[in-house]
Amino acid sequence: MRAIMDSLTIIREFLESRLEVAPERVLPEAKLDDLDVDSLRLAEIMFEFEERFNLTLHRNLKSPRTVGELVVLMDRLRSEQG
Amino acid sequence: MTRRRVAVTGLGLVSPYGGDPGDFFDRLLAGESAIRFLRTDDVPRPLAMPFVSCAGFSADAVLGRALAGTLDRFAQLGLAAAFAAWDDAGFPRQAAGLDRESWGVAWGTALGGTLAYEKGYRDLWQRGRERLSPLSLILGLNNAANAHISIQLGLGGVSMTHTVACASSAIAIGEAFRRVRSGEAPVMVSGGSDAPQAYAVARAWESLRVLASGDEDEAPQCCRPFSVDRSGLVLGEGGAALVLEDWNHAVARGARIHGEMVGYGTSCDHSHLVRPDAAGQARALAAALADAGLAPGDIDYVNAHGTATPEGDPVEVAALRAAFGDRAARLPVSATKSLHGHQLGAAGAVEAIVTVLALCEQALPPTAHLADLDPDCAGVDHVLAARRGQTLRAALSNSFAFGGSNAVLAFRAVA
Repeated sequence: MRAIMDSLTIIREFLESRLEVAPERVLPEAKLDDLDVDSLRLAEIMFEFEERFNLTLHRNLKSPRTVGELVVLMDRLRSEQG
Repeated sequence: MTRRRVAVTGLGLVSPYGGDPGDFFDRLLAGESAIRFLRTDDVPRPLAMPFVSCAGFSADAVLGRALAGTLDRFAQLGLAAAFAAWDDAGFPRQAAGLDRESWGVAWGTALGGTLAYEKGYRDLWQRGRERLSPLSLILGLNNAANAHISIQLGLGGVSMTHTVACASSAIAIGEAFRRVRSGEAPVMVSGGSDAPQAYAVARAWESLRVLASGDEDEAPQCCRPFSVDRSGLVLGEGGAALVLEDWNHAVARGARIHGEMVGYGTSCDHSHLVRPDAAGQARALAAALADAGLAPGDIDYVNAHGTATPEGDPVEVAALRAAFGDRAARLPVSATKSLHGHQLGAAGAVEAIVTVLALCEQALPPTAHLADLDPDCAGVDHVLAARRGQTLRAALSNSFAFGGSNAVLAFRAVA
């Protein structure tokens, strides 16, 4: 069985493949703005999680500001809905 | 109102031959066809038709992966062409510290982000998916090309898309020309781009029975404007851009001037959606001449719309005969779509570049594969082989669209 990928790795892979952001810059304390993750890119990342884990993200989720906040949010949703 | 002179200071292309306008023009002079046979893996029935692809174009390489990933193919082609024209004009891409708040963009596309929406339909209806990527809407915007050009080059003035079928980019260039001539904008980026390899679009063109037929061997020679055995046009993708600039602005900064844009004429046939009308086209030709302050005897070349459809070609020649009178028989005319195909919304810009380069190089590219002239297309001086060493003072580029919308652009050689 394929190992379940952790949320930080998914975010790192996404940012590397789409935005050419080096994985070592994607640290929990890194601000999403500093990684060129705007609202559109954030929507794309969330869509990636929805697709991978068949999640449904509520439209009025509070937008995370850092990679760490995004990881916590995704982990929580995966645990609730997974 | 004081009319400013308008210089063409930048030319940019994404073409099947590559991105170098000089090389592009040389290949047309050499009669080198870019038309190839396309076979896709589409289901339920692959596309199989003559087509023109910009196979050597890598959006990731030219634009960077992050930017390219947010653009549909037509916008990638457009932004790359605009960048090339901008670089050619000698402007820095970075706008920081520069005032470009009145500089603008006028872009043409017939299909816009059709490919993006088509992918969405396939995902939903063919692959059974229930939701689409949030990028889908952004990719599908028909004004994505002009918006990205404005953003990337920091242009704060007008930013518009003109969708007028096959005259889209000719009209965009004409509207840009008017804004520079009036003094509203000192610099405008204009042109067009299209990517017509969408499955439904290609199938729709097939159904209209206006596409040239030909197999893998025949494809390069299958588009034969004005020929008695012509069978239609060849769809192609591409992007083309011109930088139009206030003449004094260009001279003051020491810019290289490729040519002068001197006139723009438009008209509507107002008679039929797809059956062209010579009287309507002749009105656009006369309007362009009048706008340019030129007489028929001043024009030394016309780049024809010349799609090679049975119905369209004789009507265009009839319009030229009507507008040019006695001059028509000595008027050099060629249809370069026989070589580079029909880029739909980008065609007017591609052919405007051909026209400017003809004046620059004092050379005329031919209508290829015209061995047997249709008598109904006689009455002008068809350019059958490249002519070099010409004396070309001024030239026109014709774009006549479905819908009966006609646009004619006039350029003058720089002395």
